[in-house]
Amino acid sequence: MAEFLTAKELAIKVSICLVVLAVVMSLCALFPRSVGRQKISWTKAFSGPGQKPGENIDYEILVRVRLPRVILAALVGAALACSGVVLQAILRNPLADPYILGISSGAGLGVIIAILSGISWSFRGGSPIGIFAFAGALITVWLVWYIGHFTGKSQVTSLLLAGVVVNAFFSAVIMFLTSIAKSEQVYSTIFWLMGNITEKDLSILWVSAGCILAGIIVLFTVCHSLNVLALGQEEAIGLGVDVARTRIVAFACAAFVTAIAVSLSGLIGFVGLIIPHGVRLTFGPDHRQLLPLSAIIGASFLVIADTIARIIVAPAQLPVGVVTAIAGGPFFLILLAKYSRKVSWLK
Amino acid sequence: MNTIIKAENLSFGYTRQDTILKDISFEVNQGKFLAIAGPNGAGKTTLLNLLCGLLRPKSGSIRIDAKPVESYSVKKLAQKVAVVRQEFVPVFDFTVAEMVSMARTPYLGTFGFESNTDKQIVNEALEATETAQFALRSLGSLSGGERQRVFIARALAANSPVLLLDEPTSFLDLKHQVGIYDLLKSAQLEKGKTIVAVTHDINLSAQYCDEILLLGADGNYHIGETKDVLSREEIEKVFGVRTFVGRLGQEKFFIPLGKFAKMSGQIASKPHNIQHE
Repeated sequence: MAEFLTAKELAIKVSICLVVLAVVMSLCALFPRSVGRQKISWTKAFSGPGQKPGENIDYEILVRVRLPRVILAALVGAALACSGVVLQAILRNPLADPYILGISSGAGLGVIIAILSGISWSFRGGSPIGIFAFAGALITVWLVWYIGHFTGKSQVTSLLLAGVVVNAFFSAVIMFLTSIAKSEQVYSTIFWLMGNITEKDLSILWVSAGCILAGIIVLFTVCHSLNVLALGQEEAIGLGVDVARTRIVAFACAAFVTAIAVSLSGLIGFVGLIIPHGVRLTFGPDHRQLLPLSAIIGASFLVIADTIARIIVAPAQLPVGVVTAIAGGPFFLILLAKYSRKVSWLK
Repeated sequence: MNTIIKAENLSFGYTRQDTILKDISFEVNQGKFLAIAGPNGAGKTTLLNLLCGLLRPKSGSIRIDAKPVESYSVKKLAQKVAVVRQEFVPVFDFTVAEMVSMARTPYLGTFGFESNTDKQIVNEALEATETAQFALRSLGSLSGGERQRVFIARALAANSPVLLLDEPTSFLDLKHQVGIYDLLKSAQLEKGKTIVAVTHDINLSAQYCDEILLLGADGNYHIGETKDVLSREEIEKVFGVRTFVGRLGQEKFFIPLGKFAKMSGQIASKPHNIQHE
């Protein structure tokens, strides 16, 4: 008898992973106790806000600094990992990742254009930054897919090459824009570009969390179609999948969650590559399972990476993008070697 | 007998000027096994892609079960017609069971989980093709013959009345070729499937198929029962190859004889009768 993934089994796996994520998040929020100037005492921190706001410093640090930062890292990790899963399926390329394919820089370019052009209005959490990021990401997804489609039949390397070129081009435009910008904007922009998780207002986080969660849920409805689409367009049509619809939903949602992640934290690489691969190796390639588990494990991964970035050169801070790139670069090379060999007999 | 596939005045070309298929009309009755044979570039695979709705004809029409192909949604058409394409290895390492259960895609709900019926159908297809033993192995770890059985299992699990296959035996050794044709024949006889297979193997199609559509590179075609269509003259005309013709019961068999073939000088013009020993 063959085994099948059931909704119940999936729910159990997701719950277990969620518990692990919760443990990781609380540990990373509580430990290490003494990063930065202020040493926090847990007993004091847990005793509540005190009579007046700001009276209990330890509580304030935990709730206003540590907690938002951990939540932010988790959100960005989940978004990037999901985006990686979806891009790998749609582009039928195991090496796809929003950062490598230049989608993050597309979103980043959108953000920088929004900041530098000084358009400012906001409407219920929607801001020009978010919209520009989304537009940038969407255009890049389309561009990379189009170039990859146009240059060859799903060759692993031709698509990567398209991504590299698009990435380099957008990075150059970003550099150009930052160099003509006013000097006080430059430092923060560059730091942001390196992938930087800093404390954000909780209300922004809740809106972003809602958007990312909604994106992931919509993506989950096309997960089975992604399984089939990973076999190629002809096969997918033969098996009754509406290819155009699946592609639009998947591209739009992947661009959407990537754009949110980028506008929150800048360019963080390799999360969308490492996590889906790790999950696929452990649990198999079924996207119904791959997507939710990658989201949760990606969240845990980035929380841990951010904690490392926070403590390793304390009291200074390292951008988290540095940590993920140091971990992800070698990993990418191993995968490239593996799949290039495989593809040669795949023709 | 019900006609399940009906092609009328079918023409197709990939660009505006050229036409690969010109004015082709044929019918396939329910429960029949049709072979499509012809030289490379004659448009066999193109014809198959037209039948499964992947390509739209320039002119003419195709009806499946009395309704035009283009009137079906992708989902509904997949419930009518299952396709086995030329052998390939997917990018991701799906297991055999996962691959076969993809056939249930047009029957699944929003979140895409298989029901008990789906599971049962998939298991039956695995049993029927003798692939159940490696249900949990990854597709990439199987041999070509085993992999082809898996794709046929997937086509069976779609529970569609029509099965289309594109060169199902082209990479297989003799034993596996016969195995695949046995499998298809049993699906035809036991489950009443209508099967259309593109093939290069005239001898196997003569033994297993009811009808054959011989498609020439010049756009001419010939359809009918295998014993009527296949003849030495017809094969020489379509493929440009002289053959030795023998007879095995009602059906003929053909051995191609090229310029340097050992017996190429001594072709008998009359079919030889070979007795069964």
